[in-house]
Amino acid sequence: MALGTPRAVEAPGLPRILGPIRPRARWNELRLLGLVAVTLVVGSLSLGATLSGRFGLYDARGLAIYLGALLVAHLAQVLAGRRTDQVLLPAVALLGGVSLLLMERLPQDLVVQTFFGRTFGLADVQLTWLVCAIGVATTLGIVVRSDSWLRRYKYTWAAAGVGLLLLTFVLGTEINGQRLTLQVGPLSGQPSELLKVILVVFLAGYLSENRGLLVEQDTRVGPLRLPPVPYLAPMVAMWAIALGIVVVQRDLGAALLFFGVFLALVYAATGRISLVLIGIVLFLLGSAAMANLFEHVRTRIDVWLDPFGDPLGSGYQVIQALHAFARGGLLGMGLGGGLPMIAGRPPIPEIHTDFPLAALGEELGIVGVVAILGIYLVIVQRGLRIGVAAADDFRSLLAIGLALVIGIQAFIIAAGNLEVLPLTGVTLPFISYGGSSLMANALVIGLLLALSDKGVEPPPPPGVLPRWRRLARRGAA
Amino acid sequence: MDGFTLVLWAVRLIFLALLYLFLARVIRDLLRDLRAAAREPVERPGRLVVLESPAGEPPVGRSFGLDVITALGRDVNNAIVIDDPFASAEHAMLTYRGRNWYLEDLGSTNGSYVNGHPVAGVAALGYGDEVQIGQVRLRLERA
Repeated sequence: MALGTPRAVEAPGLPRILGPIRPRARWNELRLLGLVAVTLVVGSLSLGATLSGRFGLYDARGLAIYLGALLVAHLAQVLAGRRTDQVLLPAVALLGGVSLLLMERLPQDLVVQTFFGRTFGLADVQLTWLVCAIGVATTLGIVVRSDSWLRRYKYTWAAAGVGLLLLTFVLGTEINGQRLTLQVGPLSGQPSELLKVILVVFLAGYLSENRGLLVEQDTRVGPLRLPPVPYLAPMVAMWAIALGIVVVQRDLGAALLFFGVFLALVYAATGRISLVLIGIVLFLLGSAAMANLFEHVRTRIDVWLDPFGDPLGSGYQVIQALHAFARGGLLGMGLGGGLPMIAGRPPIPEIHTDFPLAALGEELGIVGVVAILGIYLVIVQRGLRIGVAAADDFRSLLAIGLALVIGIQAFIIAAGNLEVLPLTGVTLPFISYGGSSLMANALVIGLLLALSDKGVEPPPPPGVLPRWRRLARRGAA
Repeated sequence: MDGFTLVLWAVRLIFLALLYLFLARVIRDLLRDLRAAAREPVERPGRLVVLESPAGEPPVGRSFGLDVITALGRDVNNAIVIDDPFASAEHAMLTYRGRNWYLEDLGSTNGSYVNGHPVAGVAALGYGDEVQIGQVRLRLERA
């Protein structure tokens, strides 16, 4: 019979398009994720014990769903077998888990959304977004194997971004005096979150192509030596866009973030500190003019300089945040121990979006806050490392820019919470409540994961320009 | 202080400690990664040595480490800038594919030469071969 007969036919392999896929173990990631799971379980115990007075997990179902999603994300990456970064997912997972613990303990009616007749509170909605974010980041990390769709269409992306910005200028809904939210039917989102990713893609493309020209110095302004004038135009345009965002959208945070990322990328691409200094001077001049011209900017700066000048009005939130940090002290009040309600409301109205760091400062103390900020540093380090190891300038600048977007955004809002900078309304990445913010940051992490895989597709040779550009250049030569 | 409060304090401290344990583990991984990268030698498949350069840029004797893809030409965005009046802005591309070297002329005005022969499209070359771009002659050598 069939005994001893050699196997004649090989089982058909996967379709060729996908290529041979071999699972590859990711032990570092699994170990770190295990540590994240233990940390979150202990945190949940601490929260449950403080809030209910006996030991038990607080909202075990939510935690189980979150950890399950992480496990699925890990297994999917193992099966895909790409050699991508193993630290990013655990770092983001820990931030997301802290966010989940925080949202579970805030009053659930801060956000209420109704889907199919069922009502979901703050923690449920945040959990849903967190799981989606992990899904998006993992999918991008597995699927994206080529960057030509970003590299080649950078001007298209830039145009889409400007279009999105103008759309928000015109059609945006005004909430708390800021025109940030774009509402299309039942969907609403904050385009500026997506815009920061588009900005990085465009800048990486533009700077990697014109790097040589920006390093050249043939314009002299007094003691300064500058790149050729036409190549300064994007700098001025960027400055104008940032100021436009302040004027029309009244969004100081996004303006600061965009301009900060822009300057950091210019520095990364050219290594010339003079460009950065000029940018900072321009920005300070612009800000000074804005502060004189516009009421909302002046209020922010006045509150920053002296929050106790109007303790019950404009300075109220900032003072409450400072009190929260003060109550937290060194070790904090413990998860669930902070924030005594004032008349049934938390004292800081926007605690779930703008002030999560104040809440964490109160509950985990400075020790906990430093650890959280350390995790952001880890994410930035990973991005810079991926950028250094990248195969060409575009990938390098893209990775550096993506990492810095997260780092600078975390810095701006943390500094705002702590009264180091004027308070602005950007979110704390992965911790603040909000779908747009989580999705955009998941996009960033997904792209970083994809970029960290070395040796997939070599970048196209630098000479492959559109035909008309090649002809134009030859004409010039 | 009753037992419950004590245990609760312990749990809170353990949570903070775990945050730092996570950071410590991550940083250990990062350091390991950086050390491995520092040990890894930078692999260059070859280099180009300038043999003759009437315009003086690049100077004679200069050696360029090559990447898998190296662009040559007069434009400053090229990996090897050849500032010679007879070189085009984007003159030629040197690529290393599957253990072989190829020189591709990018439609330059005065053409590229390998060992004195003009390159039509793409030409294969080996170590020791001479490349001429404009008036500049370069020799491909093992790194």
